[in-house]
Amino acid sequence: MTTIEATALTKVYREATTDVVAVRDASLATAAGEIVAVMGPSGSGKTTLLSMLGCILRPTTGTVTIDGQRVWDSDERDLPRLRRRYVGFIFQSFNLFPALTAAENVEVVLNLKGLDGRAARREAGRLLERVGLAPRLDFRPRDLSGGEKQRVSIARALAGDPPLILADEPTANLDASNGEQVMRLLREAAAQGRSVVIVTHDHRVAPWVDRTVLLEDGRLVA
Amino acid sequence: MSVDIARKNLFHDRTRFLITVVGVTFSVVLIFAQVGIYLGFIENASIIIDNTDAEIWITSKSSANFDFPLAFDERRLAKVKEVPGVADADYLILTWLSMRLADGGSEAVELIGFNPHTGVGGPWQLVEGSVQALKAGHGLIVDESAFPKLGALRVGDLVEVDETRLRVVGISRGVRGFTTAPYVFTSLRTAREVDPRFRDRTVFIVARVVPGHDPSQVAERLRALPYLDVHTRDEYSLKTRLYWTLQTGLGVGFALTALMAVVVGTVVVAQTIYTATIEHLREFGTLKAIGATNRMVYGIIVEQAVINAVVGYAAGLLITLLAVHSSSLTGVVMVVRPPVMLAVFIVAVAMCLGAAVISVRKALQVDPVMVFRA
Repeated sequence: MTTIEATALTKVYREATTDVVAVRDASLATAAGEIVAVMGPSGSGKTTLLSMLGCILRPTTGTVTIDGQRVWDSDERDLPRLRRRYVGFIFQSFNLFPALTAAENVEVVLNLKGLDGRAARREAGRLLERVGLAPRLDFRPRDLSGGEKQRVSIARALAGDPPLILADEPTANLDASNGEQVMRLLREAAAQGRSVVIVTHDHRVAPWVDRTVLLEDGRLVA
Repeated sequence: MSVDIARKNLFHDRTRFLITVVGVTFSVVLIFAQVGIYLGFIENASIIIDNTDAEIWITSKSSANFDFPLAFDERRLAKVKEVPGVADADYLILTWLSMRLADGGSEAVELIGFNPHTGVGGPWQLVEGSVQALKAGHGLIVDESAFPKLGALRVGDLVEVDETRLRVVGISRGVRGFTTAPYVFTSLRTAREVDPRFRDRTVFIVARVVPGHDPSQVAERLRALPYLDVHTRDEYSLKTRLYWTLQTGLGVGFALTALMAVVVGTVVVAQTIYTATIEHLREFGTLKAIGATNRMVYGIIVEQAVINAVVGYAAGLLITLLAVHSSSLTGVVMVVRPPVMLAVFIVAVAMCLGAAVISVRKALQVDPVMVFRA
């Protein structure tokens, strides 16, 4: 079953008097349980593609359908709800809230999805336990290693059980061991029926993904 | 309950929080001080009017305020008493004189001559002596608030007012005037002896109305009398307060300082909230990316502004109340009552919310795409 289907996505930025095409006519579909890696050099349009898939950046033309819902037909004000419902994000720089503990960082997403109080706290604990951070629930990001931060980030992305995980360079700031641990967790997430799209330069992810597509000058070439 | 990002972020950076709260506290204390001292001054300005058991005050035409009245013919009293609704009326004299001090110096005083048989216009609280003792003549009641100027007088002491020797027969409490000259009280008869200009003249006629009659209606009837101004107690109190507030620049001075306090507070709070917002822009971007709405984002900044306001206000109120407590020792009267507290609280919250406006705009402009930049 297809989780996300992007059809003929094009994004054109206007810079001064020139139109710059960041992504051109890109089509991509992923099935539930599948991990797809989008690889390409810097400036090839990977982040732009990821932003359009994640309901953050409106494409100039083309459509994105997640779980049967045509995302870009929605009103701009409805996009936060779609992101809450369908997408879990993992960022290269983790983007954890420094003032919150590991558990609270996960709880924030659960709160946004309508789960509050003890139930949210319990669920955050369960998710962090799943990524091997049960002893670190009350640690703040500054007290966690890079690998641990990324695992909190994965737990956060899994919060609320979204069908799609979008990961931006999830292993870029990690050593081999931590990178492998992160990919194993993403593999587990996919095994539970989610689609995972990874944007990366890192060839170490190759053994963990089902499919790799190449983005060059805004075009998907393989 | 949800994770309170606003509170967590605010308390996470304690130094910044402290700076913001100090800014709000400074502002709140300054506003309280300005408003409190102004109210203290202005309540003192009409303290005799407000505490005199007479609903109607009659003065000469164009008598601007209580402390600088003009005298008029005392024969008007009979006409006043004839007006329906007037139960009784008395003369009341106020004159500026000089009192010789024990150290040989002298001090200006405002001598009030009143009818000791009715007590109308006299002191309302005595800590020593009695009003009745004034009936014997050549007696004087001094307020304890005047001791720093007149010396620590006791009942039985002899003093000299405009070369007339008077004996202190009472010590009053709570009669602190607006001007630098303390109020001292004597009988009407003695006042006329000390200052013969008032032998057949009076400064005020103070009238009580028959119970059940409306003082405003009785005052309206009295306004038919020529060459006099007639006020109800509240009207005359307000007239006196407005005179000092508007005619002397006192009100403008206090208002400008209070306004400066609001401006300084707003700038301090705006700077710290704005810096904090800029530093947390990436977090706001992340929040938006994971599904927070704009409303949730500005809710965080608004909550932080309100917390700053509440904590800063509480600290400011505490300092103010301590100042009010000690103000009785310094001689400065600060009036801080619940309505003033509420008003300053509203100003503090409005100030912090106003200061947060730029930050809210900045946070709302954050493009969640920024979260993908390393």
